[in-house]
Formats: sequence, C-alpha cells, structure tokens
Amino acid sequence: MLKIVAGFFSGIALVAIVGWNTAGGFMMTEHESPFGVEETAARIQANIQALSDRGWKLSGIRSPSVSVAAAGTNVPPVILVEACSTKYSAPLLAEDATRILSILMPCTITVYKKDDGKTYIGTMNSGLMGKMFGEKVSSIMDEVAKDQEAFLSFDPSKPAPPLIKTRPGGGKGSGGQELSGC
Amino acid sequence: MIIPRIIIGTLIASGLSVGLAISGLAYATANPAPAAALKQTTQDAAPQLDSSTADHTKFEALQADFKSGPEVTKACLSCHTEAAKQIHKTKHWTWEYKNPDTGQVLGKKHVINNFCTAVASNEDHCSACHIGYGWADKKFDFTVQENVDCLVCHDTTGVYKKLPGLAGHPNYETMEWPPKSGRLRPPTDLKKVAQNVGKTSRKTCGACHFRGGGGDAVKHGDLDSSLENPKRYLDVHMDTEGLNFACAKCHVTDAHEVPGSRYGPTASDTSGAQMRGSKEARNPATCQACHGNTPHDSADAKLNDHTHKIACQTCHVPAYARGPRHTKMSWDWSTAGRLDEQGKRIRTRNSVGKVEYDSNKGHFTYDRYVIPEYKWVNGKVKYTLFGDKVDGSSLVKINEFLGGPDDPDSRIWPLRVFRGKQMYDKGLQTLAVLHTTGNDDTAFWKNYDWDKALATGMKAVGAEYSGSMGFVETEMSWPITHMVAPKEDALKCEQCHTKGGRLAGIEGVYVPARDRIVAMDTAGFSLALLALISVLIHGAIRMFVSSRKRG
Repeated sequence: MLKIVAGFFSGIALVAIVGWNTAGGFMMTEHESPFGVEETAARIQANIQALSDRGWKLSGIRSPSVSVAAAGTNVPPVILVEACSTKYSAPLLAEDATRILSILMPCTITVYKKDDGKTYIGTMNSGLMGKMFGEKVSSIMDEVAKDQEAFLSFDPSKPAPPLIKTRPGGGKGSGGQELSGC
Repeated sequence: MIIPRIIIGTLIASGLSVGLAISGLAYATANPAPAAALKQTTQDAAPQLDSSTADHTKFEALQADFKSGPEVTKACLSCHTEAAKQIHKTKHWTWEYKNPDTGQVLGKKHVINNFCTAVASNEDHCSACHIGYGWADKKFDFTVQENVDCLVCHDTTGVYKKLPGLAGHPNYETMEWPPKSGRLRPPTDLKKVAQNVGKTSRKTCGACHFRGGGGDAVKHGDLDSSLENPKRYLDVHMDTEGLNFACAKCHVTDAHEVPGSRYGPTASDTSGAQMRGSKEARNPATCQACHGNTPHDSADAKLNDHTHKIACQTCHVPAYARGPRHTKMSWDWSTAGRLDEQGKRIRTRNSVGKVEYDSNKGHFTYDRYVIPEYKWVNGKVKYTLFGDKVDGSSLVKINEFLGGPDDPDSRIWPLRVFRGKQMYDKGLQTLAVLHTTGNDDTAFWKNYDWDKALATGMKAVGAEYSGSMGFVETEMSWPITHMVAPKEDALKCEQCHTKGGRLAGIEGVYVPARDRIVAMDTAGFSLALLALISVLIHGAIRMFVSSRKRG
C-alpha cells in the first residue's frame, strides 16, 4: 500500500515538474518577423484595422523598454500592440462568471528584438487558453485565435505603414519620438 | 507485484494532476513573478560652476558687429595668436591623413565612402562640417588663418549653425531652412556667439559627428544626438546626471589635435592607465588609458583573462544605436533618380517617419539597437581608394580592418558594417565620384543625369569619366566605441559562450561552450554511458535476486 501511495505522489511530482517546465511554451507562441520592430508593429496595427468589420480597434501601443531605459538600464526594443474587439469582449464582460477574464483585455501582441538581432512576435495561445474556461469562452477564444493569425499575416509587397501611436483607450497620440512606457 | 502497483499509482496520480496542473497554469499566467527591482545608481549632478577666468563679453576685440565668420576669427587671433597655426596642422582642417602602415593618403578629402560618396566637386555642401570658412571648390586657400572657424567648436549658445551649400559659413542673412520648409532662419548673431565662446561640448562636437552622412544618426551608429543629453543606460560616461563627460575628456586634445580616429585606430593598448597630462606618445582615448589593463575587480577577475583577445568595447557596447534614434543601415544609390508622373522628386517614409526612398539618394534601411558584427582588428586598415581596381564583379570593401587570431596586436572588436550599392566607372574600373549638389546644370540633385554628374565629379579628381557606369555592392566598417553601457548591461558570458552566439563567426580561438574538442567529448559521454549501463545492470540483478528470494 505504501508503495502505491509513493507511486501516486511521485506521479503528481512528475506531472507538476513537466507541466511547470512546458507551460510557457503552451501558453504563448513566438514567430520570427522579416521586418524591424517598429515596422512589424505597424504592419500588425494595419492588419488589426483591416478587421474592423469584426469589431477590432487599436487600443494602444506601449514600449516597456522605454520605461526600463528611464530607470537607467537597457534592454532591446519591445513594443506592445494592444487591440480590442467588442464583438468578443462584450459577451465575456456581460456575465459575472467570465468578467474576470477582462484581465486578458486588451488583446496584446508583443514585438521585440533578441540577441541574434532578429525581430520576433509573441502572442497568447488564445485557443488553448479559452479551453480552460468552459465552452462559451472556448468558442469565443477560438474566433480570437483565428483573427490573431490574420494580424500576423504580412504582405511584403505592400509599403511599410506608419506606426500609429495611439494612446491607451484609442485616442491618437502626440506623435512624439518615443512611445509611452508601461 | 511491486512494479505494476507503482505504475497504476502513477497513472492515477497523473490523471488527477493534469487537471490540477492545467487549472494552475491559468493562475500562474495571471500571476507572474514580480520583476526584479531594477538597480539604479544615482549620482549627484556635477556642480555647474563657471570655471573660466575670462569673460569674453568684456573683451574689446569682441565688441564689433561682425559681418562674417572670418572677421570673428581675426578677433579671436588677436589674443589666441597661435590657434590657427595649430588648427592648420590638424585632420579637422586638412581632411587628410597619411596611413603610416600602408602609405595610403586617407581623410575625407580622399576617401570615397558608401554614404554621400565623395567631397570632391561637392565642397560647398560638405564643408558645412569643415572647421573653416569658404571651402567652395579646389581653389580654397588652406593657409589663410582667418579661414579657420573657431565658433563651430567653441560656441556655447547653441545658435551657431553651418548650413550645407554655404561653403562652411553660417547664414549671415535670413534664409529658408530646411529648403522649401517655409521656416525662416534669422541671420547668425556672430557678436553674441563670439562673446559666449567656451570649451567644446558634446553638442559642438556632435554638430558634425552626430550628423555625418547627411543627418542625425546616419553614419556612425554609436554617435547621434541622443548623446547630447544621455541617460546612464545610453552611455555611462556621458550620463548627464553622472559623470557627464564631454568628448574631450577622453579625446584629450593637444595643440588642437584631437586624438582617436578610425583612420588609425588603436586596437590594443597594453600600456596601462595613463597619467592625465603626460606627454606619452599614445592615444589617450582608449579605455585602458583610464581603466588600465586589468580593470575588473577580484570578484570578476576571470574577465581580466579576456583582455588579451577581446576589446573592452566588445562586451561593454552590447549594441549600437541604443537610444531612440534609428541609424541608417544601408544605402542603395542604384535606385536614385526615379521621379513621379509629374517628373517631381519622390520621398517615401517608413513606419517611424524616416525617409526610405529619396529620388536624390535612392533607398535606405534603418535599425535601432543593432547587434554589432565582430572581427579581429589590429589597428591597421586598408581602403579602396579612387583608382583602385573595381570591376563590379564582387563586393568592394571600402575599408578593411586587418588582424587575426595569431597577431598579438589583434583584438576582437565590434564593428558596424554599413552596406550599400554605389556608382563605379566601368571603363576606368574604379569607384566613381558623383557631383551631387550645387546650382550648376550637372549636379545630380538638380537634373538626375548620371552621366553629367559623374563627368563633373570625376573631373574634380583629375579623371575623365569613361561614359559607362554601373553599380557595385560595397561595405564600410566602423569600429564601435561609444554608447558604453553600464557594467550590469555588458554582455553576459552566455552571449558568447554558446553555439550561434555573438562570436559565432570568429575563427582561430577556442571559445568554451561554442567550440568542442571531439575526442574529449566522446571520452566523457562514453564514461557517462558506461556508468548508466552499470547502474541498470546492477539494479536488474538486485531485482532478480530479490524476486527469487520472495518467490
């Protein structure tokens, strides 16, 4: 009996270790971008605006690396592109049970540079995350995941669009040199 | 049966744990560990004392209503009698440097780069960054003392500005600047500037060195206007709230000659720290001239073992263009000259508003926080100059820093490599000189006629254009040495000591974790495998004996 119990707890420990070490990879996805950080962010913004018929709007843009620089140290550029669609957020915010998911709003896509000098795009794995919160959330997040794929579909033959420095909340930014921090 | 029980228990536990783990993931994602507090060093700002013993507003010679720059210089020379003679001997004046290793005559006057390409035939434009007045063409007299421009380096007002097209003069009358901008620039108040001269500053040096190549952040990569008032993260020496170094703090100037130049760089300096004021014949602008040869303390003493192979900059300047400015990364002249349907100049901008196509200049690319390329450098450099053979079949290195792993004077340096496509004369088989600017009919920016512009440009260097031109890919390398990061932002061991890391392309040196010795690896893995096999055999025997006893 003691050995069964020992095996049981060993199993828990094993799964916990494996889960802990692989969770990050499941929850987030990373793609390499053929463009620079700002141009990638600008192209994502343009793609988001192209899906306005699905309720998508730009919510804001931030650069955590600017805040880090202001604190006296230095990291490669990071830009967070924020977008929101009321088509998807409204049903989640309407119910007490799912309102806590507002913590994931607005939908954020991160664009950053790594030590290899290349630009990368990070997104939440919306489809998988949705599955953890029941059927309703899952179906909504599946739709978000499809739109998110469209955000990251680039046409290199099109000229680089301007980076839109929207303020959080959707207002137009001042167009200054640096983005807001976080 | 012990083993089946363990397996059953494990499977049951796994099933339950998967559910628990997935629930936990959502919590873990929503509750990330708090970021480590950022270490910030604060230093009291340097006291702003006026240390000068001379108040130039009281000088009689500076009370005149100056009409031109040379008039100001004449007044300066009435006290500083030897200054112009000193200036006349400097690279800042001659734009010439004879390389003692190769015998090549370098300097802006002679080098063809892959930015605006060449000074010849474009002097009135380029001389906006010459410390003189009146260099409009080949007839400029380099021996006239009054032609020296004192104000461009010693202005403290910030209003003095030499504009392209004025042959090194500031504007003496109201003029529209930038052209066609609708903005009017008032005449330069020479009296005010002359009465407020002082020591050179990052702003005065930066007036040219931050804006070389046609604009802010274009040429150097590690020098741009963000260094006028940098924060600590950008440059630990120039931090305005910290050490607040002016350029001359490192580039200690003697008789107006400023040491430190890419035409004759100091790749390695083993002489240790240099006493300030000493007259040693060495470059005082090296890192070692202040920090010595073993700069890391006992806790990081291992790092001192790297200094005979690696330049300080390799670790301490982890990237260039680390400020908000984007530096130009490439320049393709081959697309220049395209016009819109109305025959007008085209200018398009990229996502951050930088011009990425200009009919005058072609296509550009930009980047920020750029990871340098690395190369062995021993301080010797070879240029491809006008007249050197270029047939268009292969990439041309505008300059090439020499060095190698077996050369004791070589160190691994970070370089900015600027890539481009530029004009060459197919008939003469040499890099071509383009007459870009001016009010005459042959200037490229006036009529977009390659042949006319090249004929004038080539004539300015004493050659006759063959009539046949092409474009060739070129590279120009720039050692990276500014934008020194705080030590906590220097490269970490694993950024080089890994496969595909920063030094992936460096040959001739063993880098642990990047390189492997096959025989040693094979022996180590064989021993580990033998140990594992032994443990398995031992365990199997124990289980077998145990089951026999019970059975």
